[in-house]
Amino acid sequence: MAKPAVILVGADKGGVGKTTVARTLLDYFGAHQTPARAFDTEFPRGTLKRFHPDVTEVVNVTSVADQMKIFDTLGGADSSVTVIDVRAGLLSSTLQALSDIGFIESAKKGQITFSVFHILGPTIASLNEIAETARFVGDASYFLVKNRINDTTFFEWDPPTYNSYFKQIKGASEISIPKLNEMACEQVEVASTPFVSFIANKTARDEPANYSFVLRGYVRHWLGNVWSEYDRVKLIDLVSPKAEDSARQAAS
Amino acid sequence: MSFRSSITIVASPRSRVGKTLLARLLTEFYAQKGGAVAAFDLNAGGGTLARFLPEHTIVSTIGDIKGQMALFDRLIAEDGGAKVVDLGYESFESFFALAQQIGFAEEALKHAIAPAILYVITPDATSVEAYRGLRRRFPQAVLAPVHNEIFGSAQHRDKYQLAGSGETVVRLPALAPGVRKFVETPPFSFSHLQPAAAVDMPPEVNAELQRWLRRAFREFRELDLRILLADLQSSIRLQS
Repeated sequence: MAKPAVILVGADKGGVGKTTVARTLLDYFGAHQTPARAFDTEFPRGTLKRFHPDVTEVVNVTSVADQMKIFDTLGGADSSVTVIDVRAGLLSSTLQALSDIGFIESAKKGQITFSVFHILGPTIASLNEIAETARFVGDASYFLVKNRINDTTFFEWDPPTYNSYFKQIKGASEISIPKLNEMACEQVEVASTPFVSFIANKTARDEPANYSFVLRGYVRHWLGNVWSEYDRVKLIDLVSPKAEDSARQAAS
Repeated sequence: MSFRSSITIVASPRSRVGKTLLARLLTEFYAQKGGAVAAFDLNAGGGTLARFLPEHTIVSTIGDIKGQMALFDRLIAEDGGAKVVDLGYESFESFFALAQQIGFAEEALKHAIAPAILYVITPDATSVEAYRGLRRRFPQAVLAPVHNEIFGSAQHRDKYQLAGSGETVVRLPALAPGVRKFVETPPFSFSHLQPAAAVDMPPEVNAELQRWLRRAFREFRELDLRILLADLQSSIRLQS
């Protein structure tokens, strides 16, 4: 069985589209036949749960019992990837908690594949968090995600300042999430389905829906671009090298 | 799969090559065959098509998402009707860029609607290049070059490659100047010519117009058969 992989999706402030990124990840793993589950830490009412109810559980990440629920089941669950949508402002404390329970230690030993998706907001203030989180991440694969989904102007940052933070985490990669037009975003929200269901014109219950073809087209194009970013950083290789190998064998 | 309806896009990156005349003719051609026809006017000036065919025309825009939804969602609606798009040269690039991005041709085929592009050809390099671009970007659509004979007899076959052996250039016959005057003054409808007196048309002009109309409609019928043939061939390929 594949080594369990954990992806932490977090941001230091709200409204930067963290849950959107978590949703694209779940869709991506689904498309790659890589079983994934998710924990939504927006306790008690999770947004991620609304879009992916079958694989998502809402947890309170500050409670010890719930921390156990997440990490004790890593090896046993039939999902090889666990995506954790960390509530805004809790990225550092979640990493601290992970460190306390020895999770980061097992990642270092190579028993768990650990990745962090750090979603960046459009202001320089959000970079401070990078400095704070850097000391916890150790050997984790660290992705700095520039989320442009809702923004027209973005990252008017001073490059030297940005780079000075960026360099604090060794081996960090950048991922850029392109813009999706407001109306398409809104309609997927209203539909409350995974992006792939919206594109396939299906309701949450897998029944035929009647979404606008233009909006479905926009979402498909956008999701394709997001996924090509994940392909570029070889995300599948990272979380499930075996699955990729067997897929390659099957293809050849 | 067999096509129940069609979408015909009349296009050229050049202005004043006879697109609107062709769109009017096509709309009336489908109307005469019986059945619903919607004509979408995508010209910046707007209004010309609506003045001739008020009951069929929908003035459209793709400048914002609402307009794009109103146009493309309606184009692929399975209402069984024929659809004609009079694509103004200003919108040529933005229309096809959007169509490609949202997967328009694939979606149309999924709904058993045949997408066809009637491309009015001119000998200039821009036009030749744009035509090649459409071949590359929309391999699923029928792309038919249209030669407007008002520009002379040369069909530029060397410049405009045809896809299959069965393909030919669609010819739009030239209108005699005496007839043009009537045809291009709204209100005018090709199909409602019976009370010719209503437009004060001399009988010999009417006779010339009918000849012209028969030639043009024959070209359209052949085009329709070609679209059907392309459909049959693709379903044969799928089965084998």
